[in-house]
Amino acid sequence: MKKDNLIPAEEICIRYKVERKFVSSLFESGIIEIVKIEETEYIPDEHLSEFERMIRLSRDLEINLEGLEAIHHLLQQIDKLQQDNRRLRNRLGLYE
Amino acid sequence: MEFIDYYKLLELDKSATQADIKKAYRKLARKYHPDLNPNDKDAQLRFQQINEAHEVLSDPEKRKKYDEYGKDWKHADQFEEARRQQAASSGGFGGGFGGGGQSYTYSGSFDDDTFSDFFEQMFGGRARARGSHRGGHFKGQDYNAELQLRLSEVYKSKKHTLTINGKNIRLTIPAGVENGQTIKIKGHGGPGVQGGPKGDLYITFNILNDTGFRRERENLYSTEEIDLTTAVLGGEIHVRTFDGKVKLKVKPGTQNGTKVKLKGKGFPKYKKEGQFGDLFITYKVKLPKHLNNDQERLFRELQKTGL
Repeated sequence: MKKDNLIPAEEICIRYKVERKFVSSLFESGIIEIVKIEETEYIPDEHLSEFERMIRLSRDLEINLEGLEAIHHLLQQIDKLQQDNRRLRNRLGLYE
Repeated sequence: MEFIDYYKLLELDKSATQADIKKAYRKLARKYHPDLNPNDKDAQLRFQQINEAHEVLSDPEKRKKYDEYGKDWKHADQFEEARRQQAASSGGFGGGFGGGGQSYTYSGSFDDDTFSDFFEQMFGGRARARGSHRGGHFKGQDYNAELQLRLSEVYKSKKHTLTINGKNIRLTIPAGVENGQTIKIKGHGGPGVQGGPKGDLYITFNILNDTGFRRERENLYSTEEIDLTTAVLGGEIHVRTFDGKVKLKVKPGTQNGTKVKLKGKGFPKYKKEGQFGDLFITYKVKLPKHLNNDQERLFRELQKTGL
């Protein structure tokens, strides 16, 4: 498997000053993905922005893991609703 | 540049304690945090403002300066100069407003101007104010931009020049981009920290459709009027497609509302070069409103035949 778009979880913990447990918890909650290659765990770079968002929410607003899970879920729903809304607006565009 | 009332922003009065400030900030930060209000520019702006207010009021030294000189911020430089002279003579004071308490900043997608001109003028720059607790970043800031295009402009892949933070970026917008779609341009965001990669540029498209075609992803929809006689007897008509007119056969006995599909005459499929969606045409049979004497006579004859 190519490692081009993968960042070692170990490095992420050092760079972002977070505990390994935090990364594992986000993975267990399904918020981010972890890829294991030869006993080393990596985070795909497309998950980095979500990971950063969780760090910001955790640090800025002192939100615990359960809160992060709920927020992640609700933000996904908002995103879906916004997409649906956009699609419907596009469909209605002709009649406006 | 106007005076900014930081107390008002945090909904506090001047006698607020540090605990009050923290509490008020938390409450408002939870309400306006950009991560909790995606794509809401008002919330983002409000968060920047309350963040700035907190930055000042939570730091006793900054707060003191703000309370003393806030409304007369133009004299802040003189104030600073006096302090420096005082520090030099006593040999003890030398740092101004460095370090300080915890800072709550959001750097995910803000522009460089996170702090107001008022703040910059009074407290001297953003660098010291930004959170040190996030020093581990290695990827640069992501930038967000909005690009308005006409539907006809995204029918073909086309090069566009965008100005992002004063820098011209020339890029090819792939044909078939959708209204509201966001694309990521890797490496065109802010510079990386400590040799890290650059951030990314996210462009959201606002596509204006003034073409008369309704678009759903790669399919197009339109309505074409056909004469009553053509609908009844069949014939040939010219219909509009996105890239010109085509001749179309109409079957005899075509009903009002009949839909026909013109395969491959729709919109280009995003990032699938040479592939197109379909064009769906709905026929609207045009009934004559006024008949001349001959036409009326002929219709009456038709009526007698039981039509």
